[in-house]
Amino acid sequence: MKIGIPRALLYYYYFPFWKAFFEALDMEVVVSEETNKGILNKGIKESVSEICVPIKLYIGHAIQLLNKEIDYIFVPRMVSIQSGEYFCPKFMGLPDMLRHGVKGLEGKIITCQIKSDSDDISAPENYYPMAEVLGVTKEQIQVAASVAREQWIGFRMFNKSGFTAVEAMKMIQTNDSLEVLLNNQQSSKPVLRIGLIGYVYNIYDPFLNMNIIEKLRELNVDFITFDMLEEAQLQEKIKDMEKTLFWTFSNKLLGAGLRLFHEPTIDGIIHLTAFGCGPDSFMGKLFEFESDQTGVPFMSIRVDEHTGENHLQTRIEAFVDMLKRKKFIA
Amino acid sequence: MVKAYIGIDVGSVSTNVVAIDENANVLFNIYIRTNGQSIDSVKKGIESLKQQLDHRKYTISGVGTTGSGRQIAGVMVGADVVKNEITAHAVATTYFVPEVRTIFEIGGQDSKIIFIKDGMVVDFAMNTVCAAGTGSFLDHQSERLGISIEQFGDYALASKNDVRIAGRCTVFAESDMIAKQQYGFSKPDIINGLCQALVRNYINNLARGKKLEPPFVFQGGVAANSGIKAAFEKEIGHEVIIPSYFNVMGAIGTAILAKEEIQKTGKKTNFRGFHALQTDFVPSSFICQGCSNNCEVIKVKMNGQTVAMWGDRCGMWQEKVSQVVI
Repeated sequence: MKIGIPRALLYYYYFPFWKAFFEALDMEVVVSEETNKGILNKGIKESVSEICVPIKLYIGHAIQLLNKEIDYIFVPRMVSIQSGEYFCPKFMGLPDMLRHGVKGLEGKIITCQIKSDSDDISAPENYYPMAEVLGVTKEQIQVAASVAREQWIGFRMFNKSGFTAVEAMKMIQTNDSLEVLLNNQQSSKPVLRIGLIGYVYNIYDPFLNMNIIEKLRELNVDFITFDMLEEAQLQEKIKDMEKTLFWTFSNKLLGAGLRLFHEPTIDGIIHLTAFGCGPDSFMGKLFEFESDQTGVPFMSIRVDEHTGENHLQTRIEAFVDMLKRKKFIA
Repeated sequence: MVKAYIGIDVGSVSTNVVAIDENANVLFNIYIRTNGQSIDSVKKGIESLKQQLDHRKYTISGVGTTGSGRQIAGVMVGADVVKNEITAHAVATTYFVPEVRTIFEIGGQDSKIIFIKDGMVVDFAMNTVCAAGTGSFLDHQSERLGISIEQFGDYALASKNDVRIAGRCTVFAESDMIAKQQYGFSKPDIINGLCQALVRNYINNLARGKKLEPPFVFQGGVAANSGIKAAFEKEIGHEVIIPSYFNVMGAIGTAILAKEEIQKTGKKTNFRGFHALQTDFVPSSFICQGCSNNCEVIKVKMNGQTVAMWGDRCGMWQEKVSQVVI
C-alpha cells in the first residue's frame, strides 16, 4: 500500500515517526513535493477563504499527493499532546475538512485520533483504528509504533541539539549526519544570535516564509527555535502563569519566547506569524511587553499568500543592522 | 580634489539623489517623481548632479543606494553600499539631530517609525501591506478635491471646525470625506480632518502604545505638508522638528554609509562614472518555467550584456550572472 504524507503542518514535527511507522508495516511512504506556487494556488482554490495560509498549504499538498498514485493520504486528527491542553481546532477538524471540503479527497483519507500526555505519540492505541483499513494486526501496530518511536527520538535528539527540524530529518534519513554538520558549520562565526519564534510549519517552509532561515544565515546570524529547546525549558517560564494560551503549540512558543528574552546570549527575537492566526495575536502582544521590560529588541514578521519579498528583506536587514550596531558600536 | 559621496534613494513615488562631502555637508540634492520609471529617474538625478557639481573641485569617492529600488540603482551606478531604508534614515537623522529619540517618516507608499536611543536604533516599525495614510493616498485625495498637494497644508491650517474622518482604512476615509462634503463642510475643514485621521492611523498602527519620547523628527515627502505636521503636534502634544533636507534623508543616510564604508575599508569606489549614464540599461522580466514556482525573474541588461538578475527563489539565475565577469 502507498501512503501519502503532506509536507505541511506537523510534518516538521512528526514526519520521522509517521514514516517509520508506515514503513514498519511494509507500506510505501510518499511525501508531497516542497511547497511551490502551484501547491499554494491549489490550496487557496480549494479552501474557505478566511482560513490561515498554513492550512491552505496543507490542502494544496494533499491535492498534490493525488497525482502520486497513493492509496491513502494520512491526515491524523491531532487532539492533544499535553494533558489539559488541546490543538487549534483546525488541526482537530483537519481530516473532516479535507474529506468533505476538498474535491477528490473523499475516500482517500486515512485518519486516527492522536491523544497523548506528552510529545511522544507512540501509544499504539492511537493507531488501532487504522488496523482494518491497513490490513494489519494490533500486534503489528505495536511493533511499528515502537520502531517509529526510536526513529523519532533520534530525530528529536538532533533537533534538540541545535539543528533545524529539516536538518535533523536529513541526519536520520541519510545516516550521514557528518555531512549535514559540516555544511552547517561552513559559514564563518555568527555575529549575532537571535530567537526565531514561530510554529514549525511557518519557520521551516522556505516558500511560505521566503526563506527566512537562509536570509539570516546569509547575514551571518545564528538562531534558536522553540523546537531546539527541551520541554522542561519551554515549561519553565509559563508554568506559574495564572492563565496560559489555549493551544499546545502556542504555549510551547510562549515558553520559548519568554525564556529567550532572558537569555544573555540572545541579541533579539523575531516572531514569525501567519496572517489571521488568533493565538499569535495574543502571543505577539505578550512578547511586546516582555521586550519593553527586558530591553531585548523584538520584531513580528507576518506572512501570508503574497509573494512580495522586498518588505521581508528590508525588515530583516534593518533588524539585523540595528542589533549589530547596538552590539558592536555601543 | 575634495572627496564627494553620492546617495541615491529610489522609492515608489520619488527618486532622490544627493552628494555630500567628507563632513556630510550636502553639496547637491534633488527630488524627482519616479512615475514608475526608476531607471530614468536615477539617470535624470545623476545627470543634474553631474551638471551642478564642480568637476575640477570634487571627485566621487563612494556611492550608496537605498529604497525599494536600491538593487537596480546599485547595479546601474556601481554602488559601494546597498542599504535598507530604515538604517539609512536613522543614520541621516542622528547626524543632523544627534539627540533625536523618535523619527516619523512618511513616504510615498510606506511609513515608518524609528525609535532611537543614544544615537542607536532601538526599535522600529513599518506599515504592513496596506498603504493607508501614506503619500500616495494624500496625492489621490488632493486630486479628488481638485487642489494641488502643495496647497494641502495651507488649506488644513485654515480650518475652523473639527471634522472627524475615519482613518482606519483609505476606502472608509474616502467615503467619510464624501459624506462630510455633502453635509457642507468646507474644504479646509475636511482636509484638516484628513490630516488628523492620517496621523491618528499612523500612531495607532506604528507606535502601538509605545512611549514616544522627544525630540521628534518628521521626515519623508509628506513632511512638506504643514497640515500633517500640525496634526502630529496636536496628537502628541509636543513640537515636531522637520530637518532642512526632510525629503532626501534616506539618500543622505546612504551617502554617509558609503562614506563610512570607504573610509573604513580604504577601497576604491565601484562607481561606474558619469559616462555610465549613456549606457543603456534595459530591465525586463520573464516567468521562469523551471518549476511550478513560476518565479518572475527580473533581468537587467547593460549594453546588451546581462549584469543582474533577481526574483528567482532558487537562486539559479542569480548564480549564473555572478559567474559572468563584468
